[in-house]
Parts: sequence; C-alpha cells; structure tokens
Amino acid sequence: MQRRRFLLALAGLAAAPAGAVEFAPVLPGRRLAFPADHGAHPDFRTEWWYATGWLKLPDGSPLGFQVTFFRVRTGLGEGNPSAFAPRQLVLAHAAIADPRLGRLRHDERSARVGPGHAGFDTGTTRVWLGDWRFELGPGGYHARVQGADFAYQLDLQPDGPPLLQGQAGFSRKAADPRHASYYYSRPQLRVSGQLTLDGTAQPVTGQAWLDHEWSSELLPEGAQGWDWIGLNLDDGSGLMAFRLRDATGKALWSSATLRPAGQSGQVLPPEAVHFTPLRQWHSPRSGIDWPVAWRVQVGRRLLELQPLIDDQELDSRRSTGAIYWEGAVRALEGGREVGRGYLEMTGYGKRIRVG
Amino acid sequence: MLEIQNLSRHFNGRVVLREVSLQLQPGEYVAIVGESGVGKSTLLNLVAGLDRPDGGRLCLDGEDYGQLDEDALTRLRRDKLGFVFQAFHVLPHLTVSQNVALPLWLQGLDAAAAAVPASQLLDAVGLAERADSWPRELSGGEMQRVAIARALVHCPRLVLADEPTGNLDPANGGKVLQLLATRIREAGAIGILVTHSLEAAATADRVLRLTPEGLCP
Amino acid sequence: MRLAPVFLGSLARRRMATLFSLVAIVLGVALGMAVQAVHEAALSEFGRGLRTLAGQADLQVLGPRGGFDEALYPLLAAAPEVADASPVVEVDARLAGREESLSIQGVDLFSLARVTPRLLPRAADEGERFAALADDALFLTEGARQALGVKVGEVLHFQAGAGRLALRVAGDLPGLDDGQRLAVMDIAGAQWHFGRLGRLTRIDLRLREGVAPEAARAALQARLPAGVVVALPEAAEDEAANLSRAYRVNLTLLAAIALLTGGFLVFSAQALSVVRRRTEFAFLRAVGLARRTLFGWLLAEGAVVGLLGGLLGVALGHALAWGALAVLGGDLGAGYFSGLSPRLQFQPGVSALYVLLGMVAGLAGAWLPAREAATVSPARALKAGDEASVGGGQGHPRLGLAVLVASLPACLIPPLEGLPLGGYLAVACLLAGGVLLLPALAAVLARLLPQDGPVSARLAAARLSAAPGHAVVAAAGVLTSVALAVAMAIMVASFRDSVDQWLGQILPADLYVRAGRASGSGHLDEALQARIAAQPGVGQVDFIRHDTLRLISGQPPVALIARPVAADGSDLPLVARAGGAGTLPRVWISEALQDLLGWWPGQQVALPLAGRSVPVAVAGVWRDYARQTGAVMIGLADYRQLTGDRLANDAAVHLASGVRADDIADALASLAGPGALEIARPGEIRAISLRIFDRTFAVTYLLEAVAVAIGLAGVAASFAALAAARRREFGMLRHLGLTRRQIGAMLAREGALAAGVGVLGGMLVGGAIGLVLIEVVNRQSFHWSMDLHVPWLSLLFFGAGLVALAAVAAVLAGRQAMGQSAVLAVREDW
Repeated sequence: MQRRRFLLALAGLAAAPAGAVEFAPVLPGRRLAFPADHGAHPDFRTEWWYATGWLKLPDGSPLGFQVTFFRVRTGLGEGNPSAFAPRQLVLAHAAIADPRLGRLRHDERSARVGPGHAGFDTGTTRVWLGDWRFELGPGGYHARVQGADFAYQLDLQPDGPPLLQGQAGFSRKAADPRHASYYYSRPQLRVSGQLTLDGTAQPVTGQAWLDHEWSSELLPEGAQGWDWIGLNLDDGSGLMAFRLRDATGKALWSSATLRPAGQSGQVLPPEAVHFTPLRQWHSPRSGIDWPVAWRVQVGRRLLELQPLIDDQELDSRRSTGAIYWEGAVRALEGGREVGRGYLEMTGYGKRIRVG
Repeated sequence: MLEIQNLSRHFNGRVVLREVSLQLQPGEYVAIVGESGVGKSTLLNLVAGLDRPDGGRLCLDGEDYGQLDEDALTRLRRDKLGFVFQAFHVLPHLTVSQNVALPLWLQGLDAAAAAVPASQLLDAVGLAERADSWPRELSGGEMQRVAIARALVHCPRLVLADEPTGNLDPANGGKVLQLLATRIREAGAIGILVTHSLEAAATADRVLRLTPEGLCP
Repeated sequence: MRLAPVFLGSLARRRMATLFSLVAIVLGVALGMAVQAVHEAALSEFGRGLRTLAGQADLQVLGPRGGFDEALYPLLAAAPEVADASPVVEVDARLAGREESLSIQGVDLFSLARVTPRLLPRAADEGERFAALADDALFLTEGARQALGVKVGEVLHFQAGAGRLALRVAGDLPGLDDGQRLAVMDIAGAQWHFGRLGRLTRIDLRLREGVAPEAARAALQARLPAGVVVALPEAAEDEAANLSRAYRVNLTLLAAIALLTGGFLVFSAQALSVVRRRTEFAFLRAVGLARRTLFGWLLAEGAVVGLLGGLLGVALGHALAWGALAVLGGDLGAGYFSGLSPRLQFQPGVSALYVLLGMVAGLAGAWLPAREAATVSPARALKAGDEASVGGGQGHPRLGLAVLVASLPACLIPPLEGLPLGGYLAVACLLAGGVLLLPALAAVLARLLPQDGPVSARLAAARLSAAPGHAVVAAAGVLTSVALAVAMAIMVASFRDSVDQWLGQILPADLYVRAGRASGSGHLDEALQARIAAQPGVGQVDFIRHDTLRLISGQPPVALIARPVAADGSDLPLVARAGGAGTLPRVWISEALQDLLGWWPGQQVALPLAGRSVPVAVAGVWRDYARQTGAVMIGLADYRQLTGDRLANDAAVHLASGVRADDIADALASLAGPGALEIARPGEIRAISLRIFDRTFAVTYLLEAVAVAIGLAGVAASFAALAAARRREFGMLRHLGLTRRQIGAMLAREGALAAGVGVLGGMLVGGAIGLVLIEVVNRQSFHWSMDLHVPWLSLLFFGAGLVALAAVAAVLAGRQAMGQSAVLAVREDW
C-alpha cells in the first residue's frame, strides 16, 4: 500500500534516479506462489513486512505494537563491485502504544545489505537487521525487536492461508493501473511472547495483522495523504480498507477487503468504501489536528473507530522530515466493540513527499 | 702665577660671588675660610675650571682660562691641577699605587712609566709599603695621604684641597694637613685650602676670609 | 604597609632598572603563556576533531594505512560485546593538479547514525533523497569548502590511482565545527573509486551497555589478525599529543629560559639597588626595623615587579598567541596540525599559573640581595663605605664545578614517558654551574687583559679584576641567554646540516615520479609502472610503496617503505648494521623505531604484513628525519612476495646516460592523465624540505632573539642601576681630567667586558647544552641522531655583535651620570 511507500519516503529512501536501473514492473495476472512469495523480491523497488496488533499484559491491560521491515532497492551502486554497494537497504520500525505512558515508544534501525548484519532471504520470510528480525518458521512468524526503552519477542500464528488483496494479489492504487502492488495479508494472527518495558519482562498474548507487499511504482499525482485500517474482528473475520486523499481531503482512490472467518476474502470496489472523521485530537507537539476517531463504511458494515490512546503520533522529523499517526484502535458497531486493529493517517501536517 | 680679577658669579639673578680678586705666586699656599653659603664652593669650582664666571678674569701662568671650552678645561685640569677631596674619592677597584698613578695615565704614560713617580710620591707620603694594597684596606688618614699623593704626582701648578680633614679625626687630620703643606711647598705649586676650621687654616702660609664683600685677610 | 613608600617607592626611583626587569619578566611569561595557549588551542581543536570523529565510539579498530580486510567488520559487528559497529574507509585524497588534499571519510551512514551521528551528511537538495548514498556525492564541512574554494553543487577533481575522479559537492556536515576540514562520502563509493575494495581503515565500535571498554578491548584484540589494533578513542588523541609534545616542550623550555633570564635581571637590579641603599637600611635597622621585616620588604619589591610582569606577560602572551595562530597556525609552523583552525581560549588556571611564575621569578631574583641586605650589621653599614662594590668575589667555583659535573650523569637518565627530563636536568645543571663559575671566569679574564692601553681600558680592566661583582651580575643574564641561543644555534645548524646530507643520501635518483602524496589517494598500478620503465631515456627505475603498520596500540602507526634496497643496506643512511645474512626477509628500521620498540640489528622480529605475522630479520638501523613515529624499510621484492601488493606510490628514475632530466620529465608526466603524476627533481624536494625545516624553526629563532634581547637588557639594567651610584666616581674622574668621551669609553669597555664574560661563558655553556640537545634531548624526544655541526662564523659574529651592543647599552644606561651635573656631583663634598 502507499502508506508503506510513504514510510519509505519518510526514511528518505524512496526515490531513485529514474532510468538508472530497471525495476521489475507490477503486472496483473501473476499468480502468487508460496512459500517463495513469502520471501523477498529484490528486483522490485520497495517491499515490506508490516505487522500491527494488540497485546494483553498478564493483568489484562492492553497495548498496541507495530513492527515493520522494509526492503528497498535504491537503484544505486548496481555497477559498484564494493561489498558495501548500497543496492539493497533494510529498514525496520518498531513501536509500542502504551496507555500508561500516554504515547508511543518508538525505535528504528536501518542498514544496507552487505557485510555486517542486515539481509533477507528470497525463499521465505526472513529479514534481519542486527538483532532485530522477522521470520517465518514452521510454527508461524517470529518477530524480535530490541528498542531503546522497550523490547519484544513475539510469535505470530496464522489462522489460515494468506489473504490475497485486490485481484488475486494484484492491488491497484489508482485509476491508472501502473500504480499497483503485489499484496497479501495475514489477518487474525494469534500472538504470544514476551514484552520488556523499562527493564521488566512480561508474557503477552494478543491478535495481530501482517501485510507483505512489494511494488515498483510511485504514488499517483495529487495524493496529499491517506487513511488505512487493518482490523481483526471478534467474529474471526478480518477487514482492510484504505483511501487516498487529495489536497482538499477528497478521496482519490479507495479499496477494502473483508474476509469472514474461514472463508476467502471479498474485495469491495472504491465506491463501497467511505471514511468520515468524528473527533479531532490536537497534538501539542506538532500542532497538527488528527482525526483520531472515525466512522468507516465498508459495504454494509458501518464501523466506528476509537483510539486506544489519542496520542499515537510518531514524530520522525529529525531523521525523516515527517510526522504521522500510527495507532491501535477499537472497532465499534452499534456502540458495541466488535474488533481491534490499527489505523494509519498521513498527510495531515505537510503534504507527504513521495519521491 | 694664579691671577683672579673681579671674579663674579650669579645664579638666577642672585649674586653669589661679587668681584673677588686674588693673586698667588708659585709655592704660595693660602687657606680660605668663610661662613657657609658665602660662596666658597662657587669660588673653588670657578678656580677648578668646573664652572664659568659671569665676569672677571682667571689666569694661570698667564693663560686666561675663564671662558675656555669644556675640552680645554678638561686638559687644563689634567695637566695643571690637583685635587684633594673631603671624601677622598679613591677608586676602590684600583690599588693604592694605581690610584696615585691615575693622573699620569691620563697624561698618556703607560703603567710601568707611571709607576715610578707614583712610588716616589707614595714614599713621600709614607705609604711606600702599601703600594699594592686595596683602598678598602686603608684607614681614613692613609686614604687621604693617597689622595694627596695623587694630587701631586703629575706636578700640577695648582692644588685645590676642600676640607681634606673633614672625614678624619683631629690627630690624623693634623698629620694630613702638615703633609699637604709640605708637599705643596716642595713641589713649588700654588695651594688653596678651603676649610671651616681655623686650626686647619693655620697650616697655610696665610689665611683669607671670604665675605660677601670679597676676600679679606 | 606604612613602610611601603620606603621600599616600593624605591622601585619608582630607579625606573630604568625596574623597567628592564619588568620587561624581561613580561617577555618570559608572555612567551611561555603564548606557547602554552597556542598549543592548548591546537591540541584541543585536534582533540575535538578526533572526538567528533570518534563520536560515541567506545573503541576503535585501527589498522595500517592500507587498511585491513573488511571481513573483520561482520565479525566485530556480531561480537557479543558490540552494540553497533561503524566501518570507515579513510582516504587522504589529493586534489588533482593541486597541492591541497582532503581527508575523506568513507562511511556507512546507517551505522554512522548510531555510533558517530555528528558525521551525518545533509544533502543540499532535499528532493534528492539518496544523495548520501550516491557514489559520486561528497559532503564537506564549511571549513573544507572555504579552504578548497568550492560551493555546493560544484565538482571537485581528485586524484585516484593515477587517474582523476570527479565528485559532486552534494551537501554539508551540519554536525561538525566549521573549523574542521574533512569530507564524508558513501563507503562503497570510497572503496570503489579510491582502490580500497575489500578494505577498511577503521571500525568504530559502540559497546553494549555494561561492557567495560578495557575488558572488551582485550577480548576483541585477541580475535583480530596481526597489525590490527583495538584502541580507546582517547589513545588517538594521545597519539597527536605525543607527536607534538616534544616540540611543545622544547618551546616551553625556551620560554622558561627567558623567564629565568628575567629572574636574573631582577636579581641584578635588586642586588645593585640593595648595595646602594645599604646606608638607608642600616639607618632603618638602627631605628628599630626588624631584620625579618627588612627581608620581607625587599622580597616584596621583587614580588611586585614579578607580579606586574606576570600580569602583563599573560596579557601579552594571549595577544602573541592570537597573532601566532592567525599567522603561523596552531603548530607554530611546525606542521603537526594541518587542516585545523584552532580558536584561542582563555584558561584561568593556566593563566594564574603563569602570573605566579612571573612572581616567583621576581621573588627568586630578590631573595639573595634581600638576604644579604638583612644580614649586614647596621653599625658597619652606617659607616659610609664604598658604595659601588657588589658582593661576588670568587663566587662558588667548587659548587659550580660539582653542578657542571652533575650534568653528565643527568644525561644518562632514560626518557620519562617520552620526555627527555634527564636532558633538561642536564641543561639546568649546565646553566647553574655556568652562573656559579662566572666570577671565576671573570677573574681569569681580568688577569688576561693587557695592563696598558688607554686610561679608559685600564680603568675598566682594573674594575673587572678588582670588583667583578657588578660585571658578574650583568653577565649572568647574558650567559643564560647566550647559552640558550648558542645551544639552539648549534643544534639547529647540526640538524639542518644532517638533514641536508641525509636528503642527498635518500634521494639518489635523477627524477622522482609520484602519484599523489605518499599518504594520499594516488598510486601507480602495474601497467603504469611498466610504461614508466619502458619510457625511452629512462635507465633504472626503483619503485617505492608506502604503507603504515600498527605495531603498538596507542602509538601512531609506523611507516612501511618498500623499495629496492642493497643486500647490505649500503644505499641507506645506516647508523648500525647487523653482521651475517640469514634466510629471513631483511628489514631496516629507523632510529625512532629502535627507540620505541628496542629492536636491535640482527634480531628476529615479526611484522604484521597482509594480516599475517611475518618473521623478519632486522638488518640495520637507518637515520630517518621524515617520520618521527618510526619507519620500517623492506626490499620491494620481499614486500611483493609477502603481501602480493604490486602497487607503487613513487618511482625513483635514474636516467640513461646522455639524457637530460627536463626532456624526460614531460614525457613521464604525460604517461597518465593531466596532473595525475607529479615529477620532482631531488633538488626541488631538497629545497622544499629545507624550506619546511626553516619554517619549523622560525619560532625558535624568534625566541632566541628575544632571549638575547633580555640578556642585553640585563647589561643595560645593571649599568643603569649603578649609574647614579657611580656619579661621584665619574665626577672625580672628570676633576682629574677625564673627558666625557673617555668616561663613555670606559663605560663602553666595562659593558663590553661584562657582556664578554657572559658571552664567553655562554658560548662554553651553550656548546655543552647544544651537545646535550643533540645527543640527549633530540635523541629522546624525536628519536633521531645528527652529526655535530658548529656554525663557528655565525657564532663569532653573534658574540662580537652582542659585546658591541652591550657596550652601547652600557653607555646609554650610564649617560645620565656622565654629564656636567656629574662633575658638579662632587660639589656635595665642597
């Protein structure tokens, strides 16, 4: 999805000199094949494994977590025989939404693939950066993160086969089919593991959502930002929806996929997806007003989203120049909680820069 | 012969010396006494060629030296004058013999040539055996005898002595005065002794009193 | 304090002597302060630069200049002690066709961000997100941009190998000080373009929390190959400090001697003044002034002069330092800190110390005279004695001799932490002994003087012989400063002469072809070497390869020079050689390395070559003035066989007979791209080397001149101090018929004699100190020997000129006592 591309832009790594290198194109009709497509696709420009979810401490208190590994082909150094040639980069972001702290704990890593300790596999999901790693084993996914003021080791157990987004994994981002990605998700991941906060390790359990997506093309012209959700509903179904906004806040493109428990996913057309903001939260740090509560209509479902905490703003201006909001939300239907998941909002401060 | 005629000197408009006249023949030894401030020092400076008169004449052996330039006065002092000071002014870093020989050095004699008359003079003042001593080893009386020898070693025409016994005890002073008178007479020089002490003045041939009106016997 | 006017007022009365003492102390303090402040500024700037580069690194892995295998990086990054590791390829890149070079840090900015974030580059074009990773993008500090005269967006051409490399100035380094001159580029581009593929020169390590750097250092070092060392970042700072410390200590020593001379001047002024005031003190004592109080007040006189001198000196020193930094740079022209623009900082502690030093000099100078004045019995002093005699007599010849002799064992003391303290002790012994023996020397000289001649000469000679005290007081300062100047002159002359000879020996070829500077980015590859050798008109060619070796952690790297060497090393400037020939590869070590490692000719040692520890035999020790940190010479064939490195940096070209160097130089230069090859003739190299040499010692000459001026001021001061006292003496002499000119001549001769005694003693002591400087101080601090070369003619002129100047100074100082008023001075008696 574009949101990941946005993050790459934040990391300052999304654009490559045009024409310097041929990136593999994203074309309709390619069948995704597993386990090979769990692995990395280094011919494409950008790729990510993006896990978000809710955790529960032994005392029952909830937390949100996020771990993302990006792979970027820079288009640089293709002819450089140096082992450090910056052809492929690996980046990782990790965060914990902690209600007791009232804001995010956040850390990030980045490295080039080369001598040292960053790399990826092409045969299966295995990407690592120092002692941070995300990999698929026989028992499911395993994520390990060692941040400045938090750390976690989580096992994420899928409940079924991958959920292919868009047309059998070919996910359009705009009216122009050039703007597309290969994209599948793993909703309803059962999480267990250990979370360390302020030096205290505690067992945790929870539900998570994983996206794996790779692409080569840029965002469409005129996109100001986007809103994205990935929800695990209590009935075992999973819901993904996004919309791209223009400068006036109008939707440029929308899409959604609903996967009822034990069934395959139903893709909804752009006109079936509506995002309506309900409540603003004013960030005292950035001065940005974030619409932290939403009404989202996906087909016949009408969901209300309420944040775990208002302040899930992630300020990475110092390193990347942008501010976004990435946070845990509750989904309510008819005033009753029906599921939990993650909301991402971009482009509410300055216009996002992609490339 | 020393001829002083109508010698006058004033400082800043104040008359210090008014028309003093005096004539002395070779071998003549006079003492000049007078109250403090009456101009004894001024008269002595003028006679010594250290100061120039505002009026009158100063003649030594017919040479008028009252208005000579400084170099000529220096030569005059070197060749024709001898001095004995109250504070001896013996150079501490010269031996007794060298101190006596100093005026001869100034006349161009080398050390060996100067040593001969110097030893004669030392003999004459009774210090022959102290020739190689350092001034710091001498008593005051001995020091002044060295000074007398130095004042006479180059056979000056005129010897000026200023309170030569001022720093000496009476016994030593008497001896020194006797010696001075004897040496001046024997050398046939003109001697002028300036002193407060009438007792000292009595060792001269005659005593003159300097008053504001001039020199009078 | 009620007595203050009696004592301190005396300083004001003898203004001339007080002024001279004051000036001497001001100069001594100012010089010391300036040297200290300049060096402190340069060192702290250097240290700051290193700290910036080191960032939060706990440890640094360092290797030879050629670098080490990059496979060490994953090894270290995965080590359990290590949290983050940042690989660096450092290249001293020479600008094509220009004299400047630029230190380029090839970095992995991802690891950089976690270890040394201040080095992070900032792209000028924010749209160009990958700017920092592009292999042609260069990021410069403000200082480097100014020094090289480039703007962002422009292109800089560097020499890489024998070719040219164009790099874009893509942005700046906002985390670094403007004063620093360096550049950052991507590590992959640096490795590729500068021929460093597979190599790293440094890895900065950040350790996991709770891991002690020292323990980690030992653990990591054990896993590294030979020649690669793990060092604490401070060690790099120490390297720089070590490198320049000897030079700084030498300069500080010169300043200390200036201060010492100042102390002597206070001594002479006080000694003479105390003699003059003996009656006054006797009276004061007679009316009830305690001996201790008198002593205290006389000390206070010296202390006041010293304090004032210290304050003015510290101010002047900062001004001097400011000027020196602006004109000569932080190394005072010695070339230790190129690429820095240090800023002067006021250090209250150090400044206070220098003020204190000035005061101590004043106190020390006043001590002896004060003691003498306080011990004289009032009854004796009240009897007006000869006022002009100054204590002295024969001095302390036995003690002086003993102190002189003590300098010999002092020379044998080994250096302490690299500092030649024994040598300095010997210098101090020689100076002290010389001063103590000065009265004896004056007496000998007086006896040798002719008895006849003009009256003025006889009087001056008699005075020196009978009352040497005055002359000795004046001569002590002269001796100190002349000894210093002569010692430095002999040392510098010997050094320069030896360097000159050495250059001839080390540069035997007709032409030198060089790809960039030895430390830089250029090299001659095999193809180019073949083309040079095949060039018509070229006879024999010796190729030379430069690298560095890490032999000792915490010490700067040692130079490795591979070039054809005769089997017996006879084409090297050898100072020692081993007998017999073994089967091991032979190396020749420089004197510095011999001192540092204690290797001896014939010894078997191990050299880290190509990551392996290679046993070699030390075949000899050679003299090397170029590399203070040590150098190893190895035969080129051995080197190539052991390392497989077939590159060269220089080529020493011997021309075929009948070929003119000018004809062949252009042909050689055109073998590679324009500006890539530098052709130098030995004559030019020699001229440049000697110019650098002279610049290095420029400050030394300045210090010498100042010290001599202080010594002369001492002569003037002592004559000025006595002039008033001798007024009656001059008056009496005028009575007896001395002309004013004759008295002037007498004073001139007295001044010349006093200075002459000092100059003579200074020459003798200076010659001995010169030997100590050459054989002990330089040997121990710079680790090189030199052949003695005494600049006789210059010393003769110097000594004669000094005596003449002293004569003039004496006349000028005594002038006030020579006038008509002096004649009338005797009137006080009439």
